[in-house]
Amino acid sequence: MSAEVLKYTLEQVEALELVPGTEHEKLEGWVPELAGEDDVRQALEKAFDYRGDVTITLKSGEKIEAYIFNRHTGATLAESWMQYFTPKADDKRKVSYAEIARLEFSGKDRAAGKHWEDWVKAYNEKKAAGETNIALHPEKLE
Amino acid sequence: MAVPISQMWTVATYVLKKRFSGTTRYPLVLMLEPLFRCNLACAGCGKVQYPPHILKKQLTPEECFAAVEECGAPMVSIPGGEPLLHPQIVEIVNGLIARKKYIYLCTNALELKRRLPEFTPSKYLTFSVHLDGQREHHDFSVCREGGYELAVEGIKDAVKRGFRVTTNATFFDGTDPNQVRGFFDDVMEMGVEGIVLSPGYSYDKAPDQSHFMGRARVRRLFRAALSNRKPTWKFNMSPLFLEFLMGDRKYECTPWGSPAYNIFGWQRPCYLLQDGYADSFKELLETTKWEEYGVASGNPKCANCMVSCGYEPSAVIDGFGSLKGFWGMVRGTFNKYRDQHALNLLNEPMPHGPSSLVQITHPDREFEETRA
Repeated sequence: MSAEVLKYTLEQVEALELVPGTEHEKLEGWVPELAGEDDVRQALEKAFDYRGDVTITLKSGEKIEAYIFNRHTGATLAESWMQYFTPKADDKRKVSYAEIARLEFSGKDRAAGKHWEDWVKAYNEKKAAGETNIALHPEKLE
Repeated sequence: MAVPISQMWTVATYVLKKRFSGTTRYPLVLMLEPLFRCNLACAGCGKVQYPPHILKKQLTPEECFAAVEECGAPMVSIPGGEPLLHPQIVEIVNGLIARKKYIYLCTNALELKRRLPEFTPSKYLTFSVHLDGQREHHDFSVCREGGYELAVEGIKDAVKRGFRVTTNATFFDGTDPNQVRGFFDDVMEMGVEGIVLSPGYSYDKAPDQSHFMGRARVRRLFRAALSNRKPTWKFNMSPLFLEFLMGDRKYECTPWGSPAYNIFGWQRPCYLLQDGYADSFKELLETTKWEEYGVASGNPKCANCMVSCGYEPSAVIDGFGSLKGFWGMVRGTFNKYRDQHALNLLNEPMPHGPSSLVQITHPDREFEETRA
């Protein structure tokens, strides 16, 4: 069982009025130092949770732009792997933690800065300015 | 009764067969996400925050059929993203109808009216239209002025053409139960088969992280909204699940009851939480550490969850798996849930931020805030 499990008791859960959401770190642009095994594991766990692409540099020198969507953590780095999609290939790919030399959170965090309050504020300002059909739009895919 | 008899019979016999065969973990609804692309940008949504190359990917019809056959669930919910943006959605739906699966195609309905002529009405196909409340509430919720109008046009056209239609609402903190009741009146007047509802889940990946209700507040909202029901209201959900939301029943989560399949694979452990993926449904069932999830585990990621995808399977299995549960389901179908305390709740100021629990005088319910 992972460390974060058993944080709440049943009584605490049932009495919750509001749930604290996830506090996302500002990871965009970050290059973690991968000095030891723990550094690699922690950085890749953050990359797994990241809402954008990362750039992986393998020990072979190859650079991969990737969206990491899965990981398996084994007893050693060689037994641990992550799964990713790249912008240029259709298939899922896999790489061992042991092959990774450098990691950069190079892609845009796709949800950062889009809070409910920002939407309400923007809506009220636009409404006051007489605008109609006010909306947040999905970003262009190209 | 909002769910047709044929669908209830299919689900009931499926549950009983699994029970008699001694199967303990089995799916009821496959959450089939053929794509994550959407034409809305809702602040509370945790399903579409991906780079463009991921949003452009989609499952093929063959991948969808393989997942449906591997999983074997009698019902398939097709959320997303917006499924009507998938260029082969008609082929996917027709393939599932041919396999006699009861389909809930979840849509924001911005494209529904335009796409309707491509579909054929069937008892197996229901358009589950995302409508979070009355006009202003819905438009704010989906961050798009005019969204309600388009959705209602789509609903009315679908009903006129003979399709099964339900509405599907998610409620977040700040929801006024009086408006929810007014919303029930409005949607039933549109001619829908029934209402589907759920409290919002605190998605890790959602842009907004500050409006997720905890369990106490969820129960208070749903006790106020769902008690003293009007005869016109119909719910396309298990009555036992609604009682769970109102605080009258306790269930544990059944995460394998609504497994999710998408471009990444079989999602662990459930439709809401993304803790990795398995390559097959068998691998998902056999290798997921189920004991690490659900309220009983203490996992903070499950702390506020009372969402239908985890708890409605628990209610359905209870309803069709025991005489006591079945009787509760029958009683719940016709019960109007008269409750003076719930009426009083409707007159209380809405909570904004953490607040004290409702004071009680005659405690005969288990949860403090829902006692009459």
